[in-house]
Amino acid sequence: MTKILIVAEIKNGEIKKNTLELFSFAKSQGLESEAVLLGSDVSGQADVLAGQGASTVYIGDDASLEIYNTEQYTSLVIDALQQSQATQVWLTSSEMGRDLTPRVAARQGVGALSDVTQLEINVDEITAFRPCMATKAVQKCEFSKDGLRVISIRSGIFSAEETAPAPANTVTLSIPEGHSQLKVREVQVEESDEVELNEASIIVSAGRGVGGVEGCEFVRPLANELGAAFGASRAVCDAGWLPHKHQVGQTGTMVNPDFYFALGISGAIQHLAGMSGSKVIVAVNKDPDAPIFKVADYGIVGDLFKAVPVLREEVGKLKG
Amino acid sequence: MPDVALNIKVKDGAIVEEGLSYVISSWDETALEAALQITEDVGGEVTLLTIGPDKAAESLRKGLAMGAHKAIHVKYDEAKESDSFAFAKILQKALEGRNYDLILTGKQAQDTDAGLTAPMLAEFISLPQVTNIIRFSDVSEESITLYRKGDHGTEVIDMNLPGIVTVNDSLNEPRLASMRGIMMAKKKPLEEIELDSLDIPAEMRGKQGSMTNVLQFEKPETRKEGQTFEGDEADTVKQAMDLLVSESKFLA
Repeated sequence: MTKILIVAEIKNGEIKKNTLELFSFAKSQGLESEAVLLGSDVSGQADVLAGQGASTVYIGDDASLEIYNTEQYTSLVIDALQQSQATQVWLTSSEMGRDLTPRVAARQGVGALSDVTQLEINVDEITAFRPCMATKAVQKCEFSKDGLRVISIRSGIFSAEETAPAPANTVTLSIPEGHSQLKVREVQVEESDEVELNEASIIVSAGRGVGGVEGCEFVRPLANELGAAFGASRAVCDAGWLPHKHQVGQTGTMVNPDFYFALGISGAIQHLAGMSGSKVIVAVNKDPDAPIFKVADYGIVGDLFKAVPVLREEVGKLKG
Repeated sequence: MPDVALNIKVKDGAIVEEGLSYVISSWDETALEAALQITEDVGGEVTLLTIGPDKAAESLRKGLAMGAHKAIHVKYDEAKESDSFAFAKILQKALEGRNYDLILTGKQAQDTDAGLTAPMLAEFISLPQVTNIIRFSDVSEESITLYRKGDHGTEVIDMNLPGIVTVNDSLNEPRLASMRGIMMAKKKPLEEIELDSLDIPAEMRGKQGSMTNVLQFEKPETRKEGQTFEGDEADTVKQAMDLLVSESKFLA
C-alpha cells in the first residue's frame, strides 16, 4: 500500500511551510503520510505534523542535529524508512533536500527525481514534471523500475492547508554517531527574522542597477512595508552588497511567489530560470532591451531610484 | 552538454538538436577553476573525467587549455540514455583503481538541472560529500574546510579527504584559456577508455541501468505578453500599480 514518508524541515523551532505543503498535497491525493522530524529540541513540533495528517512521526531530537549534516540525517531517514515501510520518500528541494535526496536514494539502491514541479500519482506509479535546461524545457519523467520512490519537490507548488495540532503517534529514533568524515563546525547565520525567499508570497529583488550597498538599503524598506522577502541577483551578492542567502536564481533560491518585483535586474539566464515561475512579475530597469522585460507582466522602463519612492507611496495608500 | 544560454527548442517531445552548441556546464567550469586554484596553492595535479560521445573530447581539450594536467574520456555514445543513478555507477567503475584526494563537480548539470549524480557517486564509493559550496579554505593532505550555502546561512564544514564537493558558481570566476594554454593542451595526455573495457555489463547501461526515464520533453508554460510603460516614473509606476491591483489583485 502506498505510504509517503515526508522529511520535515524546521526553522527557528517551527515546521516550515514547504513541509506543510507536502502533507497537504498527500492528503488531497488520499495518501497515507508519515513524517521524519530531525533537529535539536524539535519534538514539540510532532503535534503540528500529526495535525497535518502524519499518522506516525519518527523523531530524531539531539543537540548534534541542530545543523543539517549529511551523515547523521541520511542514517536517520533510512532508519525511519525501514521502520515505516513507506513506499515513497518526499523531500523539498531546499539545500537540505538537494543534498539528502540523492544520498538517501543511492543508499537504498534506487533512483530519484529532483526539483519536481508537478506530480501525478497512481499508487506508486508516478509521473513527474521537472524543469530543465535553465527552465527552457520541462522533462516528463517516470520511475522505470519497481521499488522505493524518492522525490524532491519545489516549494510553493502546492498550497498548505492550515490545520490545528493533534496528538502525535511518535517513534523515537536512536541517534547515530556522526562527524566521522564530516565535522560541521557552525552555521553562520547572516540575518534573522526576515521572510525567507522560498516561503514568501511577495519578493522584492535588487539587481546590479541599485549600484551598491546604499542602493540595497534604498530598496529594502519597500520589501519591509510589503511584508515581502528581500531578494537579489547574483551580481549583488557576488559584489558583497547583500549576503548570499538573498540570491534568487539557479545558484541561489528557486522561487515562485505570487508577486515578484525585479528592481534594476537585467535578467541573466540563471536568474530568469529561478524566478520566471512567479505568478506576476513587475520589473523596473533603465534598459528597454533588458531580458527581464521578456518575462515581466508589468515592465517599467525607468530609473529605480525614481520608481521606488512612487512604489512605496502607492503601497502605503493600498495598505491604508 | 548543450549551451543553455542559447535558444532551446522542443518539438515532438524532444529537444531539437539542430542549432545546439556544446559546451562545458558552467558549474563544472567553476569546479575546474577551484581545482586549479587548489593545485596552484598546495601542489598536485588536476585530472578531468567525462563520460560521453566523441564530441565530448572538445570540452576536455578546453579544460586542458584552462590548465588541467590530464584528461580521461570514457567513450559512450548513448550517454544520454543513462539517468543520474546509471551515470554514478559508471563513474564508480571509471574511478576504480585510481588515486584522488578530492572530486569536484558542479552543483548540477546545466542541461538536466538534477544535481543527483555527485551525491549518488559519493554514496556508492563511501566518501563524504559537501554540496553547494561558495568558499573553501585550509586545504591540507587530510582535510579541507568548506563553506556551504545552506538553508539558514553558511555552513562551515571540515571534510576529511578523499571526499566529493559540488560547487555553486559564486565560488569563483573561471579563467579563460590563454593561447599558450591552448597550444600546450594539444600535448597533454588525454586517455580514451572504451566503455567495454570497464567491465560494465549491459544491465548497467543506458535505459536498462537507469532507475528513472524521461518520457518526453515539453515546452515550459509561456508567460503571456506583458505590458511596458515608458515615461516619467511618477506616472508609469502609478499606471502599473493601478493595473497590478485591478488585473492581478495585488494586496487584495
